This record gives sequence, structure tokens and C-alpha cells, in this order.
Amino acid sequence: MNIYKPELVEIKEIIDETPDIKTFRLKFKDEKLQNNFSFKAGQFAEYSVFGEGECTFCIASSPTRPEFLECSFKLAGKVTKAMRKLKIGDTMGLRGPYGNSFPLEEMKGKNVVFIAGGIGLAPVRCIIWNVLDLRSEFKDITIIYGARSVSDLVYKYEIQDWQNMPGVKTVVTVDPGGETSDWKGEIGFVPSIVEKVAPKNENTIAIICGPPIMIKYTFPVMEKLGFSEDSIITTLENRMKCGLGKCGRCNIGSVYVCKDGPVFTYHQLKELPDEF
Amino acid sequence: MNQLIESAKDIFQNNKAAIIIGYTKDKSGRTKPFIAHNSDEAEKLTFNHHAVNNLAVYLTRLEKPKDGKIGIVAKGCDIRAINALIQENQIRRDDVLIIAMNCNGVVENQNEEFSKENTQIKCKYCQLRTPNNYDFLLGELEDFELPEDSQQELMNKLEAMTPEERWNFWESQFGNCIKCYACRQVCPLCYCEQCIVEKSMPQWIETSSTTRGNFSWNLIRAFHQAGRCIGCHECERVCPMDIPLTLLTRKMGMIAMKEFNYKHGMNINEPTLIGTYSTSDNEDFIK
Amino acid sequence: MKSFIVTRSQINSLAAELLSKNWSIFTQSEDRKRFKQCESESEISVDGNGKPSDVSFKELFFPKSETLFYFNRDNEELTLLDPAEPGTKTVIFGAKPCDAASVPVLSKVFNWDYNDEFFNKRVENTIVISIACSYSDESCFCTSVGLSPFSEIGSDLFLIPTEKDSFILKIVSEKGEKFINEFPFMIQKEFEGTFDLENQKASFPKEKFDFASVKEWLGKNFKDEIWNEVGELCLGCAQCAYVCPTCHCFDIVDENCGVSCGRRVKNWDSCQFGLFTKHASGHNPREDQSRRYRQRVNHKFNYYKQRFDEILCTGCGRCTRGCPVSIDIAQVLEKIQCKQSAAIV
Repeated sequence: MNIYKPELVEIKEIIDETPDIKTFRLKFKDEKLQNNFSFKAGQFAEYSVFGEGECTFCIASSPTRPEFLECSFKLAGKVTKAMRKLKIGDTMGLRGPYGNSFPLEEMKGKNVVFIAGGIGLAPVRCIIWNVLDLRSEFKDITIIYGARSVSDLVYKYEIQDWQNMPGVKTVVTVDPGGETSDWKGEIGFVPSIVEKVAPKNENTIAIICGPPIMIKYTFPVMEKLGFSEDSIITTLENRMKCGLGKCGRCNIGSVYVCKDGPVFTYHQLKELPDEF
Repeated sequence: MNQLIESAKDIFQNNKAAIIIGYTKDKSGRTKPFIAHNSDEAEKLTFNHHAVNNLAVYLTRLEKPKDGKIGIVAKGCDIRAINALIQENQIRRDDVLIIAMNCNGVVENQNEEFSKENTQIKCKYCQLRTPNNYDFLLGELEDFELPEDSQQELMNKLEAMTPEERWNFWESQFGNCIKCYACRQVCPLCYCEQCIVEKSMPQWIETSSTTRGNFSWNLIRAFHQAGRCIGCHECERVCPMDIPLTLLTRKMGMIAMKEFNYKHGMNINEPTLIGTYSTSDNEDFIK
Repeated sequence: MKSFIVTRSQINSLAAELLSKNWSIFTQSEDRKRFKQCESESEISVDGNGKPSDVSFKELFFPKSETLFYFNRDNEELTLLDPAEPGTKTVIFGAKPCDAASVPVLSKVFNWDYNDEFFNKRVENTIVISIACSYSDESCFCTSVGLSPFSEIGSDLFLIPTEKDSFILKIVSEKGEKFINEFPFMIQKEFEGTFDLENQKASFPKEKFDFASVKEWLGKNFKDEIWNEVGELCLGCAQCAYVCPTCHCFDIVDENCGVSCGRRVKNWDSCQFGLFTKHASGHNPREDQSRRYRQRVNHKFNYYKQRFDEILCTGCGRCTRGCPVSIDIAQVLEKIQCKQSAAIV
């Protein structure tokens, strides 16, 4: 089998999330594949634009909603630039799913705190829907999401749904200066909002994803709130190529982020060399 | 090389430079680049026929020391690179302290003793055995037997070829390229922060080691050296596949000389060939 | 497994027969640059005395550029096409033990979990005939990484020169046995004596460092002055990685052959390039050469061992011989061992 050859997918819908982020709703061209494709929240895939190359993104949709496979991407390089030009009905390639996943089973029966910044909501959104679709198996749910400005918030159309759900506390914030005149959410950086919201640490698992600077300042807040290193979970965004534990690009120490990750506990991250 | 060590120690003791880029001999007897940071380390400096590296490459690679100049041990060909970097506004003359060496030729094969047969071809046409830009000048000039210029012979042969034959020659040479970019990394004049081969929007040069990718890489690198190559032959020395890269750069240097009477890196006050335009420039050779 | 006595002329006959049956034959080129394909049996080199080729034979299993698949857009319909399988049966004559040993080491990374069939097919189709090595220079250090000039690891057949133009041919692998049985003239005269390896040991390159101490130090010391010392001299080319028999990092890129077709290619890449780990955002986890050199050494002598229980190095010394600024990896490791010894005292 040629492990480097992707399957073909078709773009069914395109959502403009922010000025530089889009979401694609994809379906395998092969119906059998579409029906049999299974993955877990937190896993990623390699998406191709033929002639331009491959790019790594998490799968942003939930395994509980298999109608489409979704990916959200921000304009950054050659492939994302090409992806922005694609239209509904265009063909892309997809390899995956790869990597480990969020510890869904372990989270059952516990409170869950989701903290995300910017496009970091993509992997978190996947597990949020996974949890919400199995709502009765989890206790209290807290979602804290922030972006630079109101126009940089992704999945706005779903945040409303989360806010309306009973037993789900949803707090949305924008960086100071990023608010609009009619903004009703919080204003402040994610770490300080987390401190303000102060989710309980007891019987709780926290999932955090966002830009490195947000993660760096959120970890100490979580520790201050009494979260153990093992109860804080994040996902790494190292540069990857193969996704198969071969090409050597995503190595941090003896860890292959593409195989052993992308999901790591804060405790595991502390054990790794400082190279991410 | 007591003279060199004494000067280097004096430089450190009187804070004339923060570091000195030079050569040392390692425990296996290899002469290789070395950076002395203080007068104890200056003891390890050496200079000999095996001091082949063009150390000027480090001037744009190293972080600029906060507390003083970069000292550099330099042969004539290295001085040309330093001059060229000054001409191209990459370094300032005041930021470097040049310890120039009178050069009596360097070896082609580092594993063998210096001899007429084991001398680099560049030494044959060197015009700067005594460097022309320095703070200190050390060493004595000695006569040595110049090597045969076998490259000239090959150049004549290439010139006599039809374009198709030449293409085939280069196709077989570039076919060996493995894209390790050692040629670029050792070149004192390849200082771009982002090399054109690393640019992907658009992808100017294919990164694959195929005929197309290899041709575009090697030819574009050669073109970027037009009228700029200072002839240190480091690219060719380090090429693991022995591609005769300097045939191209030397030829272009010869054209620059013939058509514009220009040789890069000879005079820090002279405007660069590529950076200047004159209405009297010869255009006959443009076809 | 059995051993036989063979002569140089028998080896030539083997090569001639293989060529007539359309096998590909590779051997070290005369200038000892790389492994070249032979057109005649007279070109094959079985020379234990010679220097290892400047570039290892890795490219015969893991080419510098390999097509992963072709894509074609015909009437807006996109199709993907597998490349032709590397089907040619190949024999490599006169590999060095430090070449051959790299094959099983590489096989680990190309086969944990996902199997890279590009690599596997090439290995499957190739017979490695190595020759005991009697060359050594200041860059060699096979004995420091658990190998020796007589290591048979990774070879299918192994030649030990005895007297002029005569060799002991040892069958090392089952694949080698199956192969050589097809050529009865090679297995006429069984070697029944015993080869005294102990006698040879005096001439082996001496051990330059103790691998276990090096690994232990690397495991404990991520930040250290030594990386700056080497890093400020290292110019950041990938010669060391590309001549290395075990370096295996690669890039995946697309190339268009026209408006409607193209291919995806796997190209050699190296952790010594700044771009290797640079994110699209501009962030680079290994932003300077000292970190990149540290990664190279750790990957070879620490991480790979942890992960795959193999040293990612065969001690062939190619990286040292080829380094434009003569960085001697064995000397770096010797220094590390000294640091470890000092730490114990």
C-alpha cells in the first residue's frame, strides 16, 4: 500500500470564518470511504491541493457528526494560499486520520473546561461537539474562547448554540481594543479571563489550545487554580510533512508529534526538550 | 606560527577585537576553522598550506559581538571576499580587524602534503598573495611552483563545444547534485537571509534533485554570482559530488573583466559592477 | 549458515550472469565517490582496502528524489496514479560493513506502524554483498558504535579476502542463501575451517568513545556550552546528512509537469537546514545552528536508541570526511564522553 497517496475528497461547503480563516466541509468522493471513515477527536489529517502540496490540520468536526469532515485553516503559506482559491465542487486530497486523540473515555463522569484562542478553537471545537453530543456522560462544562478581535472569532454561528445550552458555561472574550461597540462578551486576554472565570479543579479535565503565547500564560493560571499537570491537556502544532512518523520533521526529543501526539498533557510537555 | 599567536594575544589583551576567526589544528592533524574568544584560545591558532577555508563566510553568519570587532585571519582570496562584502554593504570595514597572511598557496587535497601537484588552481591566477586590505600583515612570501591550470584547458574544451554538447556536459555534471547546498553555505557571497531556493510563493526552483531541479538550482546560483564571485573556489572544494562549479563563475568573472574591466573584491571604494550602470557599458556581448 | 571459497573470477562470472539476466549491479565507483551502476562485470569492485565511497549507498534504498504518485487532471476529473514499482532485481557488490549496517537501522523507522513500501520494495529486491574492511582513517569509528570491519549486519552475503583473488563467501541471510543457491558454481567449494576473527581485532580502528556514556550524558544534558562551540562553526549545509547512510529525514513536495499533471515527490531533507522546522508563522523551534547540531547528535546517539533501540550511525566517518569545515563528530562525542566521566567523578 502506498501510505503517501491520499484519498480524494470534494469540497461541499465553504464557510468564511474570519478575514483569513475558512472552513471547508468535505466528503470523500468514494461513498464507501465516506461511510467507513472513522476518527477520534483530536486527530489530524494531511490535506492536499494537487500541484501545490500538503498541509496538516486537525479534523475540526466531531466524530459524532459524520456527514462532513471539516477543516479550518488560516492563510499562512503556499498550500493554504492555494486552498483559499478553491471553490465548492473542487477536489482535494486527504490522508489520515493520524495521531492520538483527546482522552474522551477518561473525561467521562468529569467536569470539562475548554480553553481556546484564535484558530486554536478548531481542535477544541471537535471535542466540544463530541462531548455535547454525549452530554449526559459528562458533568459541568465550561468553554472559554478568545480571539484578537470580534472579527477574528471563528465558529460564531455555533458559539450561540453553546451559550444557550443548559449546564454549559460559555465565556467569549476579545483582546482589549478588539471589541466592537455592540460587543457583549468579555474584554481581556484569555489567561486573565480564565483566572476571572476560575473553573473548579476538582474532578475536572482542562483542554487548552491556542497560540503559543496564550498557552504559555494560561498554564501558570491553571496551576494557580489547582489543576494538576496531568489534568491539563493541549495539542501541539509542530511542522509536519508525512504524518506517519517517518520524515523526522516533527520530532521533539524522541517523541514524534505526529504519532505520539498531537495531544499531550502539560506533564508530558514538561518532560520534553524545549523545542516547540 | 608564533607571529600569529603573538598578534592574536596582543589583540585580545588590548581589546582590539572580541573574537578572532582563524584556523587551528585538531587532534587528528586537520587544519580547520576555529574561533578564538580570548588570549588562551589564541594559542591554538595556526596558519599553513592546509588553511583552505575562506573564513570570510563567517562574517555574515556569526552574530556581531556586542563588545568589539570581529578579528579574522585572511589569505588573499579571503580578503577579496571581505572587500566584496564591504563593497556590497554587508559589513563595515570598521567592524572587522583583518589579520592578513602572506599566502604561499593552499592544498587541493587536504589529506596530502603541499606540492606543485597538490596546489589549488586558484593559486595559479591569484593576484593577492600579499593582501591589499588589512590591519596586520603577517608571514613571509615564499616562491612556490604554480600548478598546471587544468581548468583553463577544460574551459577551452567547453567553449569549443556546440551548445548541445555543452548542455550534455552540464547535464551529466548537475545530474550528480544531491542538493546539500554546501556550495551555498560555504560561499562568503551567498549571504541572502532567504535563498531563492527556499522561496515557495512562487516556487522559483524545484527542490528535487532531478535534471530540472538541479539545472535551475546550479544555474541560478551561478547567475547570482555573475561579476560577484571572488574566485575562492570553496564551492567546488566542498562539493561532495565534485561538480566543477567554478567553471561557470570563473568564466563569468573573465567576462566581467573583458567587457567591463572589472574584478570584484579588489578595491573597497570601487562601486560594484552589478550595482552600477553606465551609458558607456559595453553591450556587444548581449545577444 | 555455510561458507564457501570463491575466486575473483567466480565473482566476475556471477556478475556477468546477473547482467545477462537483466539484474542491476551497483558497486563503488573508481573515484570512490558513490555507488555506480555497472555495465560490465569488469567494473565491479570488491576491495576491502578502499576508502568508503564519499556518498553512502543509501540512495539505492532511499533515493534523493522519489515519486510518490502522479496526478492528472483530465476534463476536471482528477486521478492519482502510483509510480512503477522499483522492480529491478539489484545486487550491490563490495559494500562496506558500515554501509550494509544502515539497512536494518533504517528499516526500523520506515516500518514502525506504517510501512514505507518504497523503501521495503527496494530492500526486498536487493542483495547486499559486503566485504570485510581493511581500511581505516582518522574519521572512521565503527568500533565505537558496536560495529567492526567484519560486521555482517545488513549484508546478505559477506566476503572475506583470504589470499590474492580468493575470498571466503559467507551466507548471512536467508535471502542471501536463496540467491546464491541459484548460482551453483559459487557454492562448489565449502569452507570448512574457522576464520579467526580474534586475530584481526588488533587492526580494527580503536574505540574512540563509549556509546553508553555518551547516551547517558545526552539524556541528561540538553543545554550545554558544547553545542555553541560546534554550532558557531557549523555552516548549516546538509552534506553530513546527505552522505550519511542512516540520515533519513525527507520533505514532500508537489511538482507540476504541465498545466494538468504533476507528481508528488519525496526528497531528502535535513535537520541542519533552518527551514526544516520553521513554521508558516515564522516561529522556529530550532532557530540557530547550535540547536540544529544538537538535534543531529541527539537524534543519532540518544533519541533513535530510545525509540528504536538502534544507534542511528554506523561510524563510517563520511560526515567528518565531507564536512566543509572539518567538524569531526567522533571528536564531539569524545568530548561528550569526557563531560560524562567528569560528571561521574
